[in-house]
Amino acid sequence: MRRALRNYFVFLWRCARIAFVGDWRYQAWMGLLTVICLLGLNAYCRQFAHGLIVTGMSDEVSWGVYIANFTFLVGVAAAAVMMVIPVYIYKNEDLHDLVIFGELLAVAAILMCLAFVTVDLGRPDRFWHLIPGIGQFNFPKSMLSWDVLVLNGYLLLNVHICGYLLYCRYRKTKPGKWFYIPFVFIAIVWAVSIHTVTAFLYVGLGGRPFWNSAIVGPRFLASAFTAGPALIILAMQVVRRVTSYPSPGAEASQAGGAAPQPSKRRAATNEDFALLSRDLLEMATVPAEAQRRALPMAEVLEVQTGDALLRQGETGERAFFILRGSVVVVREEGGRMRVTRTAGAGEQVGEISALNATPRMATAVAEEPSVVLSLSAEALRILMESPQVNKIVRSRMSERLLITDRALMTLRSIVQVSMLINVFLLVNEVFKEFYSGNLHDASSKYLFVGLDHHHALVPWIWTAITFNVTAMVLLVLPVSRRLKWLNVTCVLCIVGIWIEKGMGLVIPGFIPTPLGEMMEYRPSLNEALVCFGIWAFGLLCYTVFLRMSVPILQGRLSKENEGVPEQSGRRPAAGLTAPSTDAT
Amino acid sequence: MNQPPSPPSSTPAPPANGIGRRSFLRTSVVLTTGLAAMAASLKPLLEINDFPTMQRFLQKYYKEMTPEDMAKVLKRIENEVEAQYGMRPHVRDLKPMDGVEFVYCLNLTRCIGCRKCVHACVAENNQSRDPEIQYIRVLRLPDGSLDIDKADHFYAPESVPEKGYFYMPVQCQQCKNPPCVKVCPVHATWQEADGITVIDYDWCIGCRYCEAACPYWARRFNFTKPSLPKERLNPDMAYLGNRPRRQGVMEKCHFCIQRTRAGRYPACLEVCPAGARKFGNILDPDSEVSYILKSKRVFIQLKSEMGTSPRFFYYFDV
Repeated sequence: MRRALRNYFVFLWRCARIAFVGDWRYQAWMGLLTVICLLGLNAYCRQFAHGLIVTGMSDEVSWGVYIANFTFLVGVAAAAVMMVIPVYIYKNEDLHDLVIFGELLAVAAILMCLAFVTVDLGRPDRFWHLIPGIGQFNFPKSMLSWDVLVLNGYLLLNVHICGYLLYCRYRKTKPGKWFYIPFVFIAIVWAVSIHTVTAFLYVGLGGRPFWNSAIVGPRFLASAFTAGPALIILAMQVVRRVTSYPSPGAEASQAGGAAPQPSKRRAATNEDFALLSRDLLEMATVPAEAQRRALPMAEVLEVQTGDALLRQGETGERAFFILRGSVVVVREEGGRMRVTRTAGAGEQVGEISALNATPRMATAVAEEPSVVLSLSAEALRILMESPQVNKIVRSRMSERLLITDRALMTLRSIVQVSMLINVFLLVNEVFKEFYSGNLHDASSKYLFVGLDHHHALVPWIWTAITFNVTAMVLLVLPVSRRLKWLNVTCVLCIVGIWIEKGMGLVIPGFIPTPLGEMMEYRPSLNEALVCFGIWAFGLLCYTVFLRMSVPILQGRLSKENEGVPEQSGRRPAAGLTAPSTDAT
Repeated sequence: MNQPPSPPSSTPAPPANGIGRRSFLRTSVVLTTGLAAMAASLKPLLEINDFPTMQRFLQKYYKEMTPEDMAKVLKRIENEVEAQYGMRPHVRDLKPMDGVEFVYCLNLTRCIGCRKCVHACVAENNQSRDPEIQYIRVLRLPDGSLDIDKADHFYAPESVPEKGYFYMPVQCQQCKNPPCVKVCPVHATWQEADGITVIDYDWCIGCRYCEAACPYWARRFNFTKPSLPKERLNPDMAYLGNRPRRQGVMEKCHFCIQRTRAGRYPACLEVCPAGARKFGNILDPDSEVSYILKSKRVFIQLKSEMGTSPRFFYYFDV
C-alpha cells in the first residue's frame, strides 16, 4: 500500500517536473500565457475589491461575457464525448489516441467554466454556502445546484479516466476494464447532461421569453458538438506539429532520401522469419501454415544509408520489419522536416498506411546499411492472425500517438452533421419568432435587426450567422477534406458559435428588461482582461496536460526510466543539438 | 506557474562550479521576477476596505440560528453599524405574525406618477445612494394600453399627472409562487409565512440568478459597496429588512418588514399623496384590502400568465 502510494507520488512528481521542461518556444508560450494570466488576476483582484461595478453589467443586464463564455465552454467540455462514443461504442481505431486529448480538453474547459462562474459571483468568499452538508444546497429545485453537481461530477469523471489510463501507460500495465469502462459510459451520458442542464438554466426562466423555448436545449447540444470537435481538430494538429521534434539530421536524411529505391531484393525465406523472431518474440507464435501462406508475398531488401523505404504522400501497399540496422522516420510539416522516431531491429514501419490503404504519413530512410523484411498488406494481415502479433503491432501503432488525417476526417463528419443541425435549428427559432409576430419577440428583434435605435448586437449576430453558414457550406463541399480549408472552417465554426451562444444568447435575454426598458451592455476593459486571463489559464492547463501526457503515451516517460533526467520533448537524443543553456 | 527553471543540461557538464552558479543566478532571477509579478497582480486586494471578519465569514444561515446566535449577530450588526455611521441602530429579528398574509393593492386611477413612493422607499430602507438603488419603478403608459413594452421609464415632465397617460408603479410583487426563490442555489431567499419573500443578505452569494428569473425586474444587486451618508441612516432596522447591505448581494422590496411586522404601513403607502396605495392582511375579512378585492370587479395581477400569482393587485376605480 505504501509502496503503491510512493509510486503514485513519484509519477505525479515527474509529471509536475516535466511541465517545466521544454525548448525556448515552449518556454515562450508558457511565459506569454503566464503574463496574460497575471493580467487577468490583476483585473480580477480589482473587481474583488471594488465589486462587479468594474464590469459592464447592470441590474438591467445582470449577466455578461462571463456567463457567455461559461455557456460556450460547457459545450466544449461536453463535446469531448464525441470522441469517446466512436471509440468505445463503434470501436473506431482512428480516434483511439485522440480520446485522452479530448478528455483533457474537457478537463481544461471545465476548469475554465468553474473560473468563469466564480468571477461572476458577487460574494466569492461565500462559496462554501454551496457545499452540500455545511452550506445550504437548493437541490433539486435550483437548476444552478444541478449545474454545480454535474460540472464537478464531469470534472472528476474525466480526471479519473485520463489519470487512470495515463498512469497505466506510465507503468506499462494493462488498464483494468472495470476501473474505467463503466466510468467512460457514465461520462457519455454525463456529457449530454452538463449541456442540457446548462440550457435548462435559461429555459427554466418563464420571465424571459427569449430563453423560455424548448429548442434551446437541442440547439445547445448541436452547437456544442460543432464547436467542440472543431476545437479538437485544431488542437490535435498543434499537438501533432509540436510533439515530433526537429533534428539537425533531418535535412541530411532528406537529401539522402532522394537516392534511388533499394536495388538489392530477394524473396523471403523461413530463415528471415526466424531472424525476425529473435528481435520480435511474438513472431514465433505465428503458425507455420500461416507463415507459408505469407511467404510468397514477402521479400527481403538490402538498403544503403539514405535509401528511402517509403515516401510521405505515396500510397502505401507494403509494411516493413527491420531485420538488421535502423531506419529513421521523417515527416514533412509546413516545409520543415521533423524526425518522428527511429526504428531498430524487430520494429516496423509503414504498417499503418499498408493496413488502412492510406497515403504514407512520413518518409522512412535507412540510417545505416540495413536489411528489412517487406510484406504486402495481405501478408501482414495473415501474420496478424496470431493474437500476439496482432497485439504487439497494434500497441506499437498506438504508442506512436497517431493523429492521423483519417481521425481528423472522422471529426470533420461530426462537425459537418452538427453544423447542419445547428443551422437548421436556428432557422426554426428565427421562423417561430418572426413569422408568428407574437408580442414576446422584442429580444429577437433587438438581436437580429435592432429595436428602438438600439442595435449593438446586430453586427455580431450577423457575423455569427455568416460564419456559421459559410462553415456549413464549406463542410458540405469536398474542399474541406483538405486540411488547410478544414482549419479555416473550424475557425469559422468556433468564432461563429462563440458569438451565437455567448453574446447572441445570454445578452439579448436581458434586453429589453421584463419591464420593457432598453439598456444595452458592453463589456468593460477590466471584464475583458479577466476573460483573457481565464482563457490563458485554460490554455496553460491544457498545454501542461499535453506536456505531461504526450511523453507518457509515446512511452518516453514511464516507470522504467525513473531516475533518468527528463529531456526536453522536442530535443532528440543527447548531444545532437547544442544545449540552449550553453551561452558560450 | 511562472517562468520555469532552465531545463537540465543534457551535455556532459562543464566545470560544475560555473554551471551551478549560472543556473542558481537564473533560477533566482526567474523566481524574483515571478514573485514580483505575482505581488503586482495581487496589489488591488489592498484596496479592500471591508474585509469580512472571521465571525462574519462563518456566520450561520438565518434559519439555522438559535435565538442566542441571533441575539449575538444582532448585537454585532448594531456595533458594526454604530462604528460605521456613528449612530446606534435598533436591529430586530421580527417574525411573521400568526394569521397574517400581506397583500398590496394599487389604484391605477389615483396614481399621479409623482414618484414620491420611490424616494420614500429609498429613505426608509437604507439603500445605497451612490449608485442609488430603487425598489420601485414607476411606468408611464399611454391611456388605453397595459402593454408594458410601451412603457416610459424616464418620463420627466414639468408636472404630473399628464393628459393621455396613466402611471403604474412596479415593485416586488411578493408572488405566491416566486420564480426567484426556486432558482436560488443556496436558499438565500425564501417566502415567509406572511407572504413576504425575504433575503438573508449574509447568506447570498451574489450569483444574480434570481435577478434573471424575476419577471417583474424587482430585484437589485449591490454592484459595489453601498454608500449611505451618515445623516440619512434610518436606525429602525430589521435583520431581513432594511439593515445596511454589503457589496455583492441582492436586495429588493420586502413590504417594509421592519414596519409592517410591527403594525405600521409601508413607507411608500404613507407617503402617497393620492391615496393610491392600500396594504393589509388578506386573511382578515374586515381589512381594507379584503374589501377591495371583494368589491372591485376587475383587478390586474401583472403577467398572471407566468403562474406567479402575485400578492400585488392593480385596480381601477370604475
